[in-house]
Amino acid sequence: MSGPGLYVALVAFGVLAGVASGLLGVGGGTLIVPFLVLAVGLTQHGAEATSLLVILPTAIAGSLTLRRRGVGDLGVALRFGLVGALGAFGGAKLALALPASTLKIVFAVFVGLVGLRLAWDGFRSTRE
Amino acid sequence: MRLLAFDLKLLVIGLGGGLLAGTLGVGGGILMVPLLVLWAAYGQREAHAMSLGAIIPISIAGIATFGVAGQVHYWDAVGLAAGSIFGAAIGAHLLIRIDERLLRIIFGVFLCAVAVLLGVRA
Repeated sequence: MSGPGLYVALVAFGVLAGVASGLLGVGGGTLIVPFLVLAVGLTQHGAEATSLLVILPTAIAGSLTLRRRGVGDLGVALRFGLVGALGAFGGAKLALALPASTLKIVFAVFVGLVGLRLAWDGFRSTRE
Repeated sequence: MRLLAFDLKLLVIGLGGGLLAGTLGVGGGILMVPLLVLWAAYGQREAHAMSLGAIIPISIAGIATFGVAGQVHYWDAVGLAAGSIFGAAIGAHLLIRIDERLLRIIFGVFLCAVAVLLGVRA
């Protein structure tokens, strides 16, 4: 995909991923990375890097909304996140050191596990 | 600044969430929220807020690291983010009205299919 069509598809898929993450708390990167790889044609590394840049403004917008509603403590969350930033630096270095095919398989396993857990949660709560 | 004046659990959860986020390009909430609830005894809403706030520095570190390697596609991200911020607000409102269980099953099966497709392409 390229040109204006690509941007329409990107914005439309962004809405879909946003709705899924708003509803299920899952669906940001878990949806965006496969979309960028399978539909847009980015490499696994490029898709993961780009996904993080989509997640950042979404997390800022969500955090500001929660702060207005008085849920949680953003200051504590940000400090907690600084510890996470060390992990993210290490994780990104690890990803960059892995070949694309290996990283894609690791990601596929992750998506499969998330899918199984969601389906399992759904079935379990249906029976209750 | 009492930056590291947390208990060990938060340290481990933060590092783990960040590691997952950096390695796979996801937010890390999928790991941090359940651990904050089940292990660190946070309420569901507080854990969600904690995870979302933490994702801000986590994603900045990931973007910087991948960005130095020239992997970030800035314009693609702008398009997706424009839709995503709008969509997240819609999703949060829909949450009150929708049958969340069925949605979890459908979405779960869909993700399994995506996993197989990605595995085949790898």
